[in-house]
Amino acid sequence: MAPVAAPVATATAPASPFRAPYVPTSDTEVLQQVPADADPTVRDMKLLRNALELDPTSLAAADRLARAYIDFGRELGDAHYAGYAEAVLAPWLAKAPSPPVALVDEATILQYRHQFSEARRQLKLALAQDANNAQAWLTLATIDMVQGDYPSAVHECSQVAASGGSVLGIACTGNVRSYLGQAQQSQVILTQIAGDAPSLTVPFKAWVQGLLAETSERLGDWTQAEDHYRKALALTPKDNYLLVAYADFLLDRQRPAEVLTLLRDSSQSDTAFLRLALAKAALNSPDLPQYVWIMGARFEALAQRGSDYYGREQVRFALYLQHDPRLALDLAERNWQVQRAPWDARVFLEAARAAEQPQAASAVLAFIRDTKLQDPVIEPLARQLETQMTAPTVSTR
Amino acid sequence: MTAGAHSASDAYLTLTQESTAAAIDARNTATTRQASAAAQTVVHAQWDIALRDLDFVLKLDDNGDGNIVWAELRKHQQAIAAYAYTNLMFSADGGSCRIAPTRQMVDDHADGAYASLMFDVTCPGTPARLTVDYRLFFAIDPSHRAIVVSRSGENVATAVLSPDKASIDLPLRPQASR
Repeated sequence: MAPVAAPVATATAPASPFRAPYVPTSDTEVLQQVPADADPTVRDMKLLRNALELDPTSLAAADRLARAYIDFGRELGDAHYAGYAEAVLAPWLAKAPSPPVALVDEATILQYRHQFSEARRQLKLALAQDANNAQAWLTLATIDMVQGDYPSAVHECSQVAASGGSVLGIACTGNVRSYLGQAQQSQVILTQIAGDAPSLTVPFKAWVQGLLAETSERLGDWTQAEDHYRKALALTPKDNYLLVAYADFLLDRQRPAEVLTLLRDSSQSDTAFLRLALAKAALNSPDLPQYVWIMGARFEALAQRGSDYYGREQVRFALYLQHDPRLALDLAERNWQVQRAPWDARVFLEAARAAEQPQAASAVLAFIRDTKLQDPVIEPLARQLETQMTAPTVSTR
Repeated sequence: MTAGAHSASDAYLTLTQESTAAAIDARNTATTRQASAAAQTVVHAQWDIALRDLDFVLKLDDNGDGNIVWAELRKHQQAIAAYAYTNLMFSADGGSCRIAPTRQMVDDHADGAYASLMFDVTCPGTPARLTVDYRLFFAIDPSHRAIVVSRSGENVATAVLSPDKASIDLPLRPQASR
């Protein structure tokens, strides 16, 4: 392990589990896993790249390759591909005005990196040229949902439907409602869409099943939620977002051993790796320190490069694996400036409770009241903190 | 534990200015050998580049089975060096410096295995600044970053190089005069 990649040292940090630079001794020693040629997605990407090389001035060819990279990277939870997509889009983004399709692809990459303001700017440029760009409206709605601006998201979902993406628009609306205390209606809408299955693409069906799983969680219907997660994963078994959401579901149900099986092949993804580490912690596994070290080193590498896209994960790492509630609360406050999905509210409240600073969570508690967020885990947590806030506090100094 | 790819592409460039004593020894040796030998400054470097990234451009996994094994990497070491060193340049106080590769190893990081390129940078005279010009991967992945750590005596300078900031000036410790 190179000294520069070492994580911030803490008194209890174990030594790096890696040896110094070495020369392998066996020809067959596996040094690194990479996507295999046999993977159909890898084959498709190669074909799309060849197509672009044959016709480098084709925007359609660039768009197809960029989208393939973006989708593959999302599936793997590997941001390298977002970078490759950006390189493909670069000549189009250098033009003024840039074509809307390139702007929307770039916005998708920026959204993935949690650079939400920059993503919005690209989407607005795209919509200024093409007000009926359903994909641009949907991406904007998704960003507003992540950032907790539900009134804007409702409007944008209706624009998705008005721009020709009627099923997409309805699913979008169903999704927003689940955050506004209307999870029941959300479930009805999404179930109806899922019923139209034959006419839908596989990734779209998986997305709807994933939304249904989360909506069922809002309603505290664990059996339904698990059923939907399994249906979604049967459709897209490698989808990193779904794997991680289902892993969180299993961790909440005290089923950590199943997380290790579920994410066996996903350790390359930082978000999946955190769930593996949390499962190791729940199981008191002897190799937990190694997982904690690697997770810390990965976050440190992100910090060194000036990226900060895993706020939510960093809070959970600080809280449950570094056992540092003050740091967790500090990270939660920073994350809340960027992301306000239910999980962001939840980790904030958990950090505030652990740090014994209920008053620090007042803005989050107000947000939960205002949006009428339904969630069987978050609601009792919020009530507990509200009680602590009104109770006389004992000064610590 | 199998190391996999991680969220984004990083390379690590660590530069260590040769200790004064060693530099003087080197100069003495040079002087003994050749009376007119000019003073020069040597910086040792370790450049860790992810195999994952190298595979994307150079295809290291020859049989395409999804595993880069040592035999495959060894076969590509020359190609890796040729590719990498054309994308890195050093100069000092305006004069160009020479890169002399010493060896290539493997280094494990939290997100996977890296090719570790060891080399010496030799610059004429005793310059006050070393300029690094870095271009690796920027054309195929603008989100690639080089994390640079430079040690010169007690000074440690760090920098992150990106397409928008592909060059950096690093201070060199003045050589002790005799």
